[in-house]
Amino acid sequence: MKRLSRISSLATTWGRRVLTFAALTVFVAVSVPAADVKPAEAGGKPVIDAHADELLRRMGDYLAQAQFFSVNAEIWQDVQLASGQIVQAGRTVDLQVRRPNRLHAEVRSTRRNRGLYYDGKSITLLNRVQNFYGSIPAPAGLDEALDVACERFGITMPLEDLIVSDPYQNAIHKAVSGTDLGPVTVLGVPCEHLAFSQGMVDWQIWLEAGASPVPKKIVITYKDEDGAPQYTAIFSNWDFETKLPDFLFNFEPPSGAAKISVAEIKVENQAQKGGGK
Amino acid sequence: MTMNLATAGLRRGIWIGFLVLLAAGPLGYAQRQESRGAEIPRASAPPRAPMQRQPAVVDRSNHGSIRHVDTHVAQRPVEAPRVVEMPHDGIDQHAHVITHHDVDADIGGQRFWHSFVFGARIHGLRPGYFQLTVNGLPYFCDDGIYYQQVGDDYQEVYPPVGADVQELPDGAIEVDAGNVVYYYAGGAFYVQQDGGYVIVPAPIGVIVPELPPGAVPTSVGGWVAYQFNGTYYQPQFVNGVTQYVTISP
Repeated sequence: MKRLSRISSLATTWGRRVLTFAALTVFVAVSVPAADVKPAEAGGKPVIDAHADELLRRMGDYLAQAQFFSVNAEIWQDVQLASGQIVQAGRTVDLQVRRPNRLHAEVRSTRRNRGLYYDGKSITLLNRVQNFYGSIPAPAGLDEALDVACERFGITMPLEDLIVSDPYQNAIHKAVSGTDLGPVTVLGVPCEHLAFSQGMVDWQIWLEAGASPVPKKIVITYKDEDGAPQYTAIFSNWDFETKLPDFLFNFEPPSGAAKISVAEIKVENQAQKGGGK
Repeated sequence: MTMNLATAGLRRGIWIGFLVLLAAGPLGYAQRQESRGAEIPRASAPPRAPMQRQPAVVDRSNHGSIRHVDTHVAQRPVEAPRVVEMPHDGIDQHAHVITHHDVDADIGGQRFWHSFVFGARIHGLRPGYFQLTVNGLPYFCDDGIYYQQVGDDYQEVYPPVGADVQELPDGAIEVDAGNVVYYYAGGAFYVQQDGGYVIVPAPIGVIVPELPPGAVPTSVGGWVAYQFNGTYYQPQFVNGVTQYVTISP
């Protein structure tokens, strides 16, 4: 009986070993990531998932090859109040772009209503609520004009990452990691959800599935700011068919409008000058 | 009998192990598929670079750009208290231009002092007002609006320079002029002093996000400006939005 018990115990021990081996196999299978997605190491080579990179490049090429387009966007931006509370502020953007050197945007919110015009020679801002306008000279290309507006005058043109001549390179060149989170729907539209990280910023982009791989949504998270605020843009009415004539981009002061100056930002006030390109 | 029992124990262990392995197969496969972007729901987080959090709080003038995410970024130490000094002439008029975002929320909601009307009279003050004396004259103050008694009424007057109050008006806007921090409310500029706040003459060359209530349109050197209590405010586009710089006509 004693022998019987020992043999039975031995058999159970072998069974347990097999069970332990199986459990370890499960653990390894689940916890070890696949070879093509590794966490980026500090200072190491960026780790961009090949599929995410391919989808982003497809979007960038699609926008870069469009000679003109218009789109509407709803923007939601986290803002920290003096009390420390974080709230969301909303606005809409109606954007019209004609490559290589035309841009018109209308930005509307409850208290503000602004027009931005770029005609290849100057950028003009129009405060429609108080009827003020101001102009700055600008270079002859969209990329350079966007840089002058931001770096010298602190004017970040709305949705500029989609306006630049090479949206793919503009977006990817500082990314340290990127992944494809798979298919989802945004406002009922099938999209592919991509997530990227670069320095102090994480950003996500939802690209429409199908023949027109335009962005449906973008989220930028500022990890180095209090409360890690987010900027969200949701796009609608992409239009690559309707032609955009010159008059849309040429500014004419409305009746009674007063010209005011556009303040230039001192270089000393910048922690990093022009580091974004 | 002995062998049967031993074999039964071994078989039971092997079967359980086999079943566990069978269950593990799809899990591992799903995990690999996720990383390749297959068309199945994904639960894993994207690979992340190591967090490089710095001992600083960051302010950006504008959000919404990857291209210029590092442009016009200001950092200040998290724990370092602001140095408060009395105002002097050396104001850097652009030192604080990055503080106001291109959104509605930063210009705040309606405050009591937004309702200021110079010379308006009321018959009684709201509970919570307090009395103070400035340059030997008696005043009453209610959340950023100052009054002087006229008969049985209280008349709204410009904020008196030298007024010393314990608390700032609700919604006072911090204006960082580089070496001086002002708090701006109802057309008055306050500085911190001895545990309270004192109204100082309006500094020239600072930028505020909104006009004082009731500022009157005028012209200075052919440019549009607004006047309030002897101070002129000239509109400018700063960071793409309209703000107002105090000028000397």
